[in-house]
Amino acid sequence: MDGVALMLYRTSGQFKTTYRSDQALFPIRQDAILLGVILILAWAVLPFTASEFAFQTLLIPVLIYALAATGLNILTGYAGQLSLGTGAFMGVGAYACYKLITIFPELNLLVAVLLSGLFSATVGVLFGLPSLRIKGFYLAIATLAAQFFLVWLFEKWPWLYNYNASGAIQVPNVEIFGVHFAGPLATSQAQYYFVLTVVTILTVVCINLTRGSLGRSWKSVRDMDIAAELIGINLLKAKLMAFAVSSYIVGVAGALFVFLWRGAAEPNLFDIELSFRVLFIAIIGGLGSILGNYLGAILIVALPVILNTVPELLGLDIKSATVEHINVMIVGALIVFFLIVEPHGLARLWALLREKLILWPFPH
Amino acid sequence: MKQLVALALAGAVAGSAAAAQELYTPNLSYRTGPFAATGIPLMNGQADYMAMLNARDGGIGGVPVNFEECETGYSTEKGVECYERTKGAALVTQPWSTGITLQVLPQTNVDQIPILAPGYGFSPMSDGKTFQWAFNPPASYWDGMSMILQEISGGDLSSLSGKKIAHLHLDHPYGKEPLPLLEAMGEAHGFEVLPIPVGISEMQNQSAQWLQIRRERPDFVIMWGWGAMNAGAITEAVKTRYPMDQFVGVWWSGHSDDLQLVGEDGAGYRAISWSLPNADAPVMTAIKEHVGDKSLADAEEMGEVFYGRGVIISAILAEGIRVAQEMHGTGEISAAQLRDGLANLNFTAERIEELGLGGMMAPFATSCADHTGHSGGWMIEWNGSEFVQASDLLSADRGAIEPLEAEKAAEYASANAPWPVNEACEG
Repeated sequence: MDGVALMLYRTSGQFKTTYRSDQALFPIRQDAILLGVILILAWAVLPFTASEFAFQTLLIPVLIYALAATGLNILTGYAGQLSLGTGAFMGVGAYACYKLITIFPELNLLVAVLLSGLFSATVGVLFGLPSLRIKGFYLAIATLAAQFFLVWLFEKWPWLYNYNASGAIQVPNVEIFGVHFAGPLATSQAQYYFVLTVVTILTVVCINLTRGSLGRSWKSVRDMDIAAELIGINLLKAKLMAFAVSSYIVGVAGALFVFLWRGAAEPNLFDIELSFRVLFIAIIGGLGSILGNYLGAILIVALPVILNTVPELLGLDIKSATVEHINVMIVGALIVFFLIVEPHGLARLWALLREKLILWPFPH
Repeated sequence: MKQLVALALAGAVAGSAAAAQELYTPNLSYRTGPFAATGIPLMNGQADYMAMLNARDGGIGGVPVNFEECETGYSTEKGVECYERTKGAALVTQPWSTGITLQVLPQTNVDQIPILAPGYGFSPMSDGKTFQWAFNPPASYWDGMSMILQEISGGDLSSLSGKKIAHLHLDHPYGKEPLPLLEAMGEAHGFEVLPIPVGISEMQNQSAQWLQIRRERPDFVIMWGWGAMNAGAITEAVKTRYPMDQFVGVWWSGHSDDLQLVGEDGAGYRAISWSLPNADAPVMTAIKEHVGDKSLADAEEMGEVFYGRGVIISAILAEGIRVAQEMHGTGEISAAQLRDGLANLNFTAERIEELGLGGMMAPFATSCADHTGHSGGWMIEWNGSEFVQASDLLSADRGAIEPLEAEKAAEYASANAPWPVNEACEG
């Protein structure tokens, strides 16, 4: 039985007769089928079976964090520019979306979310300028400056939070064609579909970008920028494009983060911890991979939530604080374990597994 | 992914199954993280009072209380996770952080679960017409600020004219909360307000802030601090030799452990408080007798300000449950029924004695329109080894606060439109 299931990944009989088919997104048919199953699950099965708790603590946050990590991965994983400012760029997206929605209440939320990415892209390019002169850890420090400066700005510029006494932004009720998507009246299902739509579209865009000529120029910059320059790649354009695209996606993720999930935000929400969290998702998932961001988000965001429910399921009477401590230890140990087993991340682990499945049952 | 959701679904089912024959009042506690030192005694006091009721009376009205904790570590994200996990069966939300309160406040009209935020949260929540599901008895932050101003002015705010008052606060919704009132008061009575924010990352090292205080020489420093910030401010004040009798904190800045660090040098530091520690109160004896070794607190902690306050907070909730049970004639009340109970609290002096809380809290009553009760409070002063009562009962200048409360509540309602306002409430 097991054997038959594994044989499903057999590629014999799938002949490539053109270059085009050999270069296709899914050269192996089973990959396309697997993705189709996942998409059906995400679009048609989960929305009708998941509980309110699952929507709010598992499905929506995993999608949003995966999108933020995708944005960072474009910059760090594909173009090789290390950034520690992700949290602040998410903040730029969130505050931009807040201002857009409160200044133009008639604006469609989807348009507002997609527009707010433009603001973070602009800020991202600005802080990406030093990347033309400095690399590696030094660039990381420069983006760290963006992190601190922007969070400071969110606190000190009252116009950004409409002079709210507590300095926080509160998401108003927003409806599109009579359905509430943001604010307290929104249902989880509506929010989930909204997030899923944006995340699906942007993921497809990212996959295509990274496989196209822009993506190849990023990879060559990452692998050796001098060589890239010698073969005629414009470093200025490639690096700043990477910052722009990455910050755009991160900004959209930030707008979703506050509008479609949290409902309210204070400036220190976008502190460096958020940047690290997204960076960890990208690293553990696998730098230079799109799939990895989802795997990483599941491990970092969803797993602790699920572990928290385990003692209750087993009927164990453990104090909540103790569960929290154990939880941190388990997740930490898992991160160490995965990084030892496969330093290139979960995506690489899956790639190796897939390779083995294709060859199975033969070792070579 | 499928398994994940299946697990989560099963978790949600298990959560609601636990609701039978009990009063489920989850507490969003924080025994971990940077604020744990101040959280633990409060959580212990709360849990012990409910455990005592369960052991002594078999719960409230014969129905046992399930006072489960859900750990947040003071993180808003975890707080929302806890809220989502418990809301299926919960009678009440005890969010335990102004950030989490702001996050769940807009949800209350939809989910119809009362929020109980004793002595914290958004001050305009006092307006029961606008915030039909939120309660912050027995005093709001604005009440606290008003009481502090009365005490330092000697009862006459016009004597503050021409003086300079620094507001040293955590740069967080919590710390900014009293600023609108303080600024309005400054304008009305002619004193200068100097807001000095302390970022969460600077809590332990406030040298920059205290340098500013040394330079500006304010006549008074009022502190809205929490967690590690309190101890940081008090040690800096000692180091810069700021006169302790001109340094006053809110009730969350009156934690014995923070002052223990400086001991004698901190003598004269005052904090406003709506609770007084009283190790000899009958309720404390009852807790020792019925909970005893099962308590997570030791004898020393039980005598401290925060533990006592935790006990009072649970007593307020328990009284709300009792009133709701009487009003609706049922032991197993619903969340909506508990709201009626919390809106009809009446802590008279006799009732406080009856509950064994004599000498620990001041009388107050809530109503449909007034969700706070405004009990007033006392100044407590650090005498070098413990906090002692240092003033008679002070009460807030409600006449000055109410217009501002109404204004901010209306602002909140319009920013969150459509927001239902209950105009049926009397006074």
